[in-house]
Amino acid sequence: MKHIVYLSRAVRPMTDTDLQALLDQSRHDNVRHGITGVLFYSHGNIAQLFEGPAEMVDPLFDRISRDGRHSHVRKLVDTPIAARSFPTWSMAFHPLEPSGFTALENFLLPHQLPPLPPSLTIADALLVELVQLAVFGPDPTQPFEHRHSDPPRTLDA
Amino acid sequence: MPAPRFEQLLRRLQAGVATLEGPELRYGFVNEQMQVLVGANAEGRTLTEQPGLLPTALLEVLPKVYEAGTPYTARACACGPAADGPDRRYFDVMVDPYADEAGEPAGLLLLAVDVSEQEATRQRAHELALTTRQLDARLRVLTETAPLFTYTMSPEGEVTYVSPQWYRFTGQPETADLTAIWPLLVHPDDRLRVLFESDTARRTGTGWNYEYRLRRYDGQYRWMLSRALPEVHPPDQPVAWHGALTEVHLQRELSEARRRGEAELRFLADSIPELVWTTSAEGLVEYYNHYTKSYSGLTTEELGPTGWVGLLYPEEQAAAARRWVQSVASGEDFEGEYRLRRADGVYRWHTIRARRLNDGSGPRWFGAGSDVEEQHRLRQVLQTQYDELARAHHNLDTFVYAASHDLRQPTLNLRGLFEELSRSVRFTDPEQALMLRMVDTALTHLDGTLADLAATVQTQRQQQEPVEVLDLALGLEEILLGLRPQIVLQGASVEIDVQEAPGLLYSRANFRSVVHNLVSNALKFAHPMRPPQVLLRSYLTAQGQPVLEVRDNGLGMHVDDPHNPAFRLFSRQHTEVEGTGVGLYLVQRIVTSQGGHVEADSTPGVGTTFRVFWAAPTGLE
Ligand SMILES: Cc1cc2nc3c(=O)[nH]c(=O)nc-3n(C[C@H](O)[C@H](O)[C@H](O)COP(=O)(O)O)c2cc1C
Repeated sequence: MKHIVYLSRAVRPMTDTDLQALLDQSRHDNVRHGITGVLFYSHGNIAQLFEGPAEMVDPLFDRISRDGRHSHVRKLVDTPIAARSFPTWSMAFHPLEPSGFTALENFLLPHQLPPLPPSLTIADALLVELVQLAVFGPDPTQPFEHRHSDPPRTLDA
Repeated sequence: MPAPRFEQLLRRLQAGVATLEGPELRYGFVNEQMQVLVGANAEGRTLTEQPGLLPTALLEVLPKVYEAGTPYTARACACGPAADGPDRRYFDVMVDPYADEAGEPAGLLLLAVDVSEQEATRQRAHELALTTRQLDARLRVLTETAPLFTYTMSPEGEVTYVSPQWYRFTGQPETADLTAIWPLLVHPDDRLRVLFESDTARRTGTGWNYEYRLRRYDGQYRWMLSRALPEVHPPDQPVAWHGALTEVHLQRELSEARRRGEAELRFLADSIPELVWTTSAEGLVEYYNHYTKSYSGLTTEELGPTGWVGLLYPEEQAAAARRWVQSVASGEDFEGEYRLRRADGVYRWHTIRARRLNDGSGPRWFGAGSDVEEQHRLRQVLQTQYDELARAHHNLDTFVYAASHDLRQPTLNLRGLFEELSRSVRFTDPEQALMLRMVDTALTHLDGTLADLAATVQTQRQQQEPVEVLDLALGLEEILLGLRPQIVLQGASVEIDVQEAPGLLYSRANFRSVVHNLVSNALKFAHPMRPPQVLLRSYLTAQGQPVLEVRDNGLGMHVDDPHNPAFRLFSRQHTEVEGTGVGLYLVQRIVTSQGGHVEADSTPGVGTTFRVFWAAPTGLE
């Protein structure tokens, strides 16, 4: 088992339809591949944590990082884990038309995210909170317009 | 005349054919095509009677051709109605004079070929050429005025064009051999790389994008960005590379300076035995210095963007993580003392600080951690010592109190016995009577000292006494009442003036001790030549601080520093006067313990004034 966390930028703002399409595609594939986790989206800011068997997680990250819908993919963590921390895979964002989404499976409003489970180390939980902050800003009830730092830097080797 | 079969062919020829006979130029044969030009009923009429669609210019020329007898061709002759109308047609008209058997001019043979299509094409081409020339001119203005230089390079690497700016920039003459000269103008350190990259791109048919230093007219090398793309017409190989050259010197120097600054910063950070790290605007660590890695025994990878929190004492991690998220969200400094795990598993106290700074490439967090284990240990040692001292002090107080208490009873007993003794025993020797008085004095003194000692310890315990609003007039009267026997005995006059500040928030017991001591002091150190006069005045300073002034006309004393007079336990100035020296020490202790202070000024032989500032200037409630 392992998990990966990354930050990225959508190449152009994603519409409700785009997000719905991504949700449908990913939900379906993730169930098949035993992938769970959570994706945050707001105003072009993207962050995702996903976990599962290494032989599924690594190729998925390859596919995601090549996906033309976003760029500046910055992998933050890629480490083995003892157990899953997320029971399902879900997506959190502010739809323009929330009524169509609220009842949708695997969809969450950003301020309705459940608390992080204790199975995450504090360092990993801190990481998820920081990327959540980077995507949604200090007040997740409000749509948040800002870009995370660019150009992306990397930890030196 | 043509044979009938031949005539058939002529009539259907896809060119106009007609004969004009005789000097009057009368239409003889006119085929179908020519009828379009001159009309269907032209045969037998003269040219002047039937000009048809033929242009005037041609009509005028035909008689002359007849006379001259030489062939004539009019190219793209516009025939038809309105000039440039849609029906306008163009013909190449060939005129051939012919002679009769006698060799005399007999007529003209007209051949008209419709060239309207060709003419239209030609005109379109002409218009196109005009537009092209305009576009070309615009392009040239653009390329030659834009701040970037443009150039063209052939697949073989020949430079076939550079815009004029390049000449101006390099100072090269327009006659320069571009292909030969341009590599020589590239900085020697960049030359091979640039040539290699451009050769490779031309060989593989791709564009290029590189930076190099180009020598300017004044000999200075300036950083340029060179970009080019091949011009391709598939399926052929590229025919040329067109590119642009932009000066990027300033940007380059700026980012170079930033890189250098960053490198210098990292060098410094890597050289010091302190924990140093930097994070992105999102609070994700991008850099840990060497010391952090060697201290923790972890690599940058193992630490990761948030791994530092895992080095903290387990119970402190969650709170520190919350603090950090809060700092990142608000931009506030992060600061705290935490225990950090060293590679060998030992936790050491560190002061950790992080601050958000903007270094031109967006906000970043800079963090530092200093080992304060030694200070921490020292602090703990000091705390232990302080606790021990406080305990010892308390024990001492208790001991003194108990001792003075316990000694008082035997002293009283002693005094009782002594009085009994002096009543019942008769001394004959007058010296012995004197000794008796001395023993009496010593006993009184001993009792007074014990009482004062007990009082000192007592006031120390009273420091936490509850405070209340005191009516000063009443309070002072009460105290004076206690001192009445002495006042009467010495014929002293005591005046009270509390108009300015009639109330005071203070502990009643402490107030009593202070005033009682000061007034009895004033009485005790009275001048032998005059009855004591004491003034008690309560007032407020400009800052609203309540003060009690006690002024006397007594012996006075020597004061080193009126704002900070030193009153030491058992130190006495007037040894000729009875007293234990406890009084002033007590006053000062009480007042300073409540945040106030005591001032004194005095002139020996004239008198003394004490001012009691009850509270600290800022500590006003
Ligand atoms: C921001 C983002 C997140 C994505 N997350 C997932 C995901 O969790 N699971 C998944 O199967 N595909 C995800 N995708 C889609 C993949 O990039 C890819 O389109 C998908 O795996 C299908 O790949 P394929 O077309 O190569 O088969 C995501 C794409 C984007 C842009």
